[in-house]
Amino acid sequence: MNVSDLSAPPRGRGLLIPLLLALLVFVGLPAMLAGFDRGYFYQIANLALIFILLSASMHLVTGVAGLLHLGHAAFYGVGAYTAALLSTKFGLGFTVTLPLSGVVAALIAFLVALPTMRLVSIYFAVATLAIGQMLYLVMLNWVEFTKGPNGIIVTKGLELFGFSLSGRLATYYTVATVVALCVLAIGRLSHSYYGNALRSIREDDQCADAMGVSTARLKMEAFTMSAFFAGVAGSLWAHMTGYISPGDFKFSESILILAMVVVGGLGSLPGAVIGALLLILLPEGLRAFGDFRNIMVGLVMFLSILLLPKGLLGEVSALQLARRQLGAAWRNTVKGEGIGWR
Amino acid sequence: MIDPYYLQQLAIGLSLGMTYALMAIGFTLIFGVLNVVNFAHGEVYTLGAFAGLVLISATAPPIFAVIFIALAIGAMAGFSLERIAFKPFRRFTDEASLKSRAMRESTLLSSLAVSIVVREALEIVFGSQMRSVPFEYLINTPVRIGPVILVTGDFIIFGVAAVMLIGLQYLLTRTRIGLSIRAVSNNPLGAKYVGIDTDRTIIMTFVVGSMMGAAAGILTGLYYGAIFPAMGFVPGIKAFVAMVMGGLSSIPGAVICALILGISESMATTFVSSGWSDMVAYGFLILTLIFFPNGLFGARRERV
Amino acid sequence: MTALKTASLAALMTAALAGTALTTGTALAADTVKIGYQLPLTGETAQYGQDFRKAAEIALTEFNASGKPFKAEIVFEDSRSDAKEGTNIARKFVDDKEIVGVLGDFTSGVSMASAQVYKDAGMPQLSQTASHPDYTKISKYQFRNIATQAQEGPYNAKWMLSKGYKNIAVIAEQTDWGQSVVSGFSDGVKANGGTVVFSEFFNRGLKDYRSLISKLERAKPDAIYTGFFYEDGAQFLRQVQQLGIKTPVYSTSAAYSPKLIELAGEAAEGVHLTSNFLPTDPAPHIQHFVTEWKAASNGAVPGQFPAQAYDAVRIMLAAVEKAYPNPTREKVRDALAQTKDFAGVTGKTSFSADREAEKELVKVEVKGGAFVPVAD
Repeated sequence: MNVSDLSAPPRGRGLLIPLLLALLVFVGLPAMLAGFDRGYFYQIANLALIFILLSASMHLVTGVAGLLHLGHAAFYGVGAYTAALLSTKFGLGFTVTLPLSGVVAALIAFLVALPTMRLVSIYFAVATLAIGQMLYLVMLNWVEFTKGPNGIIVTKGLELFGFSLSGRLATYYTVATVVALCVLAIGRLSHSYYGNALRSIREDDQCADAMGVSTARLKMEAFTMSAFFAGVAGSLWAHMTGYISPGDFKFSESILILAMVVVGGLGSLPGAVIGALLLILLPEGLRAFGDFRNIMVGLVMFLSILLLPKGLLGEVSALQLARRQLGAAWRNTVKGEGIGWR
Repeated sequence: MIDPYYLQQLAIGLSLGMTYALMAIGFTLIFGVLNVVNFAHGEVYTLGAFAGLVLISATAPPIFAVIFIALAIGAMAGFSLERIAFKPFRRFTDEASLKSRAMRESTLLSSLAVSIVVREALEIVFGSQMRSVPFEYLINTPVRIGPVILVTGDFIIFGVAAVMLIGLQYLLTRTRIGLSIRAVSNNPLGAKYVGIDTDRTIIMTFVVGSMMGAAAGILTGLYYGAIFPAMGFVPGIKAFVAMVMGGLSSIPGAVICALILGISESMATTFVSSGWSDMVAYGFLILTLIFFPNGLFGARRERV
Repeated sequence: MTALKTASLAALMTAALAGTALTTGTALAADTVKIGYQLPLTGETAQYGQDFRKAAEIALTEFNASGKPFKAEIVFEDSRSDAKEGTNIARKFVDDKEIVGVLGDFTSGVSMASAQVYKDAGMPQLSQTASHPDYTKISKYQFRNIATQAQEGPYNAKWMLSKGYKNIAVIAEQTDWGQSVVSGFSDGVKANGGTVVFSEFFNRGLKDYRSLISKLERAKPDAIYTGFFYEDGAQFLRQVQQLGIKTPVYSTSAAYSPKLIELAGEAAEGVHLTSNFLPTDPAPHIQHFVTEWKAASNGAVPGQFPAQAYDAVRIMLAAVEKAYPNPTREKVRDALAQTKDFAGVTGKTSFSADREAEKELVKVEVKGGAFVPVAD
């Protein structure tokens, strides 16, 4: 990309919303949490953050590249198991397991993706379902390696180079930092020429292929990257809860993450974040309704899809928002290079 | 001489596959017409089973009445499902919406949301536990054929699946409504232009497909003697897998693949621990898709 | 349109947040002691959680009617057998300063995940069913009111060997509990001179056991020992009967439920299992519980699990009473640890030094559509 001859976009407005968000996540929320001083709120905040990361990572595959992914939770599980096994068998700390979890999840995703990435539409979806179920079966049945249904107790908490971060506020900041960095990276990926190439696969893969977009390779990359971020989320969960078992990563979790992405708005990163927030906060908020709360969750999900089929914050609105905020970065035609973000 | 053990496992696999096939037929029919996965099919299956059970516990009806009520509930469920979860999404007829991937996936999730509500409601009304079926209604009296032991239900399920398959083929190829179903599933817009009432056709498909789902539910319930709110989940996944393996558009293909799934599961149990047997079924699916990316019986991919 | 969207979105989020805030924090009168109970009230295992709640309510009503110096209250929270929700609830219970002890969860997985929270917070946790071998090893705050398979397995092994079955096949569900069933029993068989000719796990909720049964029969066992709950058990027994197999079947106390006989019918005839609760026991406190349970559930007879939950609640309440006045979590924990010969409906319960319940087991056989105690 020939960026050098572009005049630098005027700064200021483009940074407003990200700055406000960062302020909220790193100052406003922690202040509120510290004010309430309840472990419950901290827990929910951390859980929501982890699911924001999961939903954002699925957004990359399902939202941007348009590939229905029905096995995402398995890569989340691979990450969690990598972290748990590395820390129990080799005594490695969070600082080391966090990136390694992502890498291992990505590696496994890459390997299983090799033969399946040429598949399209629903065939792809059912292949991811099968991959997810197979990984789950491995976690459940390979007792010698994963301890199977006994699960693993992870004694090492969050830390940074041996410096413990297991206090409430420290845990929140650690999780929030990791998630924010990952979401930022996903945002950069999806709002770029690269993201546009992925979108072209979603809209019409044959056409994209004809235009010289290497669809199989792009799909593979998107799939692998999304598994990387899911793996990171898994590592966070393993070190935060201290105990993992295969039940945490079963098919219904994949569906939950998919629901977050769709309810929020397919193809929109803010949508994926909002979807995750909604589907984590709602079941907790509805506890007062007792046994009826899950019906209510289903109803809210249904109504939101019915009334806003493009999502709570759908792709078009999200793109408009991004265009308004990053207006200067959007070029209609620059020396015949076509439209897009730089 | 083949070891009778393998014959027995083969027979078990076939009968297991039959119960998946029973569900896959309706599932594939509904998928064909709208090209969206109907996540609530498993709940239609469960509803059919519960409808039969309620009737059985209220009165002591003949078995045909039980099947009839399941079919009736299935038809109603299919109708309402289409109205609630699918029809509203056809209100957007502009080209952008028609082509939008987001719209299509949201329809998929709307049926998922409906299925969550239905399952939770069933759990509140009936409880999550397995409900037993009175013994005189069960269809699992053992039948011995040579070295192989089967139960009466296997033959009934086989018969019903065959009747469904043949009936459906007749419906699709010989009747007007079948013709319009095929037209809509081929090209909804084109069907509309030539004067087919697409809305009515889609409803008909849902009604027929859901009746088959409900019949599958009550039959499987009577076969295993246990009816519970989550019963549609596993067969639903297996039917989905069978449909895709079969190539989406082919109902006989889905049935054959359901049988393959059942046999591979039961045969796998011989060689690996039972916990791993699903692994073989899914591995088989992946292999099939690698070598037949459009399923075993799928047509070549068309431009939409 | 955009305004509508923003508004509805904001409304949803506020509702979710407000709900979260509302459900925490309610003040209580001074002479009320609160206990938390986390259990699955919805989802696929809700039937167990609903039973536990029913049993707990019976125990609670009795306690509050018996003229104690304080009233007890139990806060029930639904965990859906989901570790995410389980840890959320655990944090919530820990936050509530008035809660001095926690009961639950149902599955070991959720109990273990929640235990990590209770460990750090110093909250005594008593589970009626968690059977994971490492559960009580997490910290000094974890207790359970269930006979472990390390006890039940060898007991059953000796029983079966004494009946002359030397070659035994073992199958169990693929859960942490199933793992402990197989290891506990196999150790017992080997120690007493028998052989385990076949052992395998199946995934919970499997519907068709016929492949597994045919395979198992190829090993020609004298008897089959099984680790399943009553629902899987009923399917298994029925299919054993369908395949015309006459090998005797033995099982654990987890299958002890009237629902087993209801679901399996005559296929359950002749099944042997152990239990530590007999609804037919004429002892007055047992009959009292059975009557109360029947009144609360349309005349159904309670099984093993509700009885365990009933006892767990009463053990917890007794510990709270011992710690009264001014019970604290630490005092309740110490009182729990001192529980000795607590006369419950599941027999006398004492907690050993490693906080395991020591239970007495009864041998039972299904005869004529009912569980009948047998001498051997």
